[in-house]
Amino acid sequence: MTDVIGPPVAYDPELDAAMSVMKDKLPDFGAIMARTGDLGAVVREVREVLADAIAEISGTKGSDITRGGAYTVTEREVPGPVGAPDVPLLICLPANASAPVGLLYNIHGGGMIGGDAHTGLPHYLDMADDLGAALVSVDYRLAPEHPHPAPVEDCYAGLVWTVEHADELGIDPDRIVVMGGSAGGGLAAATALLARDRGGPALIGQLLACPMLDDHNDSYSARQMAGLGVWDHAANGLGWSALLGSAQGGPDVSPYAAPARATDLSGLPPAFIDVGSAETFRDEAVEYASRIWQAGGSAELHVWPGGFHGFSGAVPQAAVSQAANAAPRNWLRRIFKA
Amino acid sequence: MQELVGRLAQLDPDAGAAVKVIAYFDRLVEGHAGLEPIVRGAAVLAGCAARLVDVDRRVQVRVDARGKVCDEIGLPEPDWPSAPLVPDGPAVLWLEHGGEPGPVDAMVLERAASAARGVLERTRGRSSVALDDPASVEVLFDATVAAQTRLTVARRLGIAENAQVKAVAPVGEPGWIESDAACWPARGRSTGARLGVGAVGGVLDLPASWVGARAAARFTAMDTEQDPGPRVVHADQLGGLAVLADVIGADTEPITDVRAVEQARTDAPWVLATLVAVAASPSLRAAATALLIHHSTLQERLGHVEHVLGWPIRDPQGKLRLQLAIAMWRLHRQS
Repeated sequence: MTDVIGPPVAYDPELDAAMSVMKDKLPDFGAIMARTGDLGAVVREVREVLADAIAEISGTKGSDITRGGAYTVTEREVPGPVGAPDVPLLICLPANASAPVGLLYNIHGGGMIGGDAHTGLPHYLDMADDLGAALVSVDYRLAPEHPHPAPVEDCYAGLVWTVEHADELGIDPDRIVVMGGSAGGGLAAATALLARDRGGPALIGQLLACPMLDDHNDSYSARQMAGLGVWDHAANGLGWSALLGSAQGGPDVSPYAAPARATDLSGLPPAFIDVGSAETFRDEAVEYASRIWQAGGSAELHVWPGGFHGFSGAVPQAAVSQAANAAPRNWLRRIFKA
Repeated sequence: MQELVGRLAQLDPDAGAAVKVIAYFDRLVEGHAGLEPIVRGAAVLAGCAARLVDVDRRVQVRVDARGKVCDEIGLPEPDWPSAPLVPDGPAVLWLEHGGEPGPVDAMVLERAASAARGVLERTRGRSSVALDDPASVEVLFDATVAAQTRLTVARRLGIAENAQVKAVAPVGEPGWIESDAACWPARGRSTGARLGVGAVGGVLDLPASWVGARAAARFTAMDTEQDPGPRVVHADQLGGLAVLADVIGADTEPITDVRAVEQARTDAPWVLATLVAVAASPSLRAAATALLIHHSTLQERLGHVEHVLGWPIRDPQGKLRLQLAIAMWRLHRQS
């Protein structure tokens, strides 16, 4: 561990300006943690703030998820992991597809402790619609009430059920991408590891947006950006300890909880990884991409200069956000064509 | 952010909203953001497209309410809220909506204009709203520039909308604009240069006046023995000669008479001045006076040059032929 930590990376000026306007709409986890006591209370408060903030930012409130009838949307409870409750899936299928379509299997973000299947949905449906693809969003159980492996096993169970019912849903089982942002990015990476290791569904891609991968929470960027942005070192520590309890940062954390722990990153589907240069997750995202390459795999990595966590969804107008929002669509088009 | 800004735009212009607008542009300035982020800021904060058009600096940026840059840019509507770059200057920044102004419009415009002014002065030098601006004058000579833009530039230069103006084209120097009372740029006027002067008309007629002035300039001379002829030529006095100016260009082959003038000119130093004096004078006596020689001396010389030229120049037909040959010779020289 380096002793000297450089100054924080400055935000992109447009993002910075937008941040100054939005500041009081964004959660200040540091203040919440100072004010409250036990983990449960903190989580409850964080969850509430997060739900509001995410709904606000992603425009979940009041938006039409059928996109004017272009999608039929159903909620289904499907069998969960062995001995666990059913897993709710939000299933969005193109209304007028004449042939089986590709699938974006979406795992929402929220720090392992918040969010739901609707989180960020309009944005992801935009992407699916661009591709003429279906979208299934999984409502996995949240920590700390449901620590590891509940969240990732729910995600995997939902994926397996979806692939087993591909015919019925009109989905092409050979064109499935797992995707997620933040905690969802970490869970998507973990789901891809599970699918590989259990001989599960064949995936053609994993789209990991600013993914939460490493429970150590001590990378250079995590320390460099401590106290800054919507998901800083302290908030990240809270998320991981909710998921892993006292095991966090110790020797026995499963790679299916924290994919950075995986010793073998070969044999994975092509990855799209992006992250802001001014956020906690920068270095673990870059590291994960590097290790995929070192294992001979395929990864497309974007580090957006001056981007804070979730910048492209929070400030879509900014020039850097426009570029960041175009990149995954471009990658998906190539993946789906191949 | 879109929703948030939308709400901001609907707010009363209370302290909260104003503080946010100020903070937004302050951050852009601190971050040395360029013009596009500033215009984008105006667009997203006001919830409508915004544009910055600085004719002097040839800058235009338009961004829609979703932050996308648009290259297509029409004319601003008169009822759009707008702001100048400097107090009392012409509008350069517009919010593209009519009707009731939004509650934060004025604040957005003011802060965005201030930020844009900083960028423009940093990157493109101080504003050239001063009247001595050759670039603006060029814009007024350019028929491909939208009429509305040319009128705006004229206003900025201080040319009244109903002013009667003409273009002046000095040979080898940038042109200027003259009215009876003034000229633009004020310092652009050179003395001693050969000048073509265009026809008088309105501001929007200046491109045509400029074309005429440039044609007229090709008929000028230095008014010396080596280069005899008028230093100033007016386009509206050219008559049919203007047609010659159109047809004689750099690639036009000189006709025999033009080559004859050139041949005669090199024959003796006094030849060209003599030919020009004869062509321009009402009588040979007047020509001799202009040349400061005796009438009989002139007669002797003419006998010689008529031989060199190959046609008589003392009868009306020959004199016309000479006038045309000299005019065409000048056009060839200056094409």
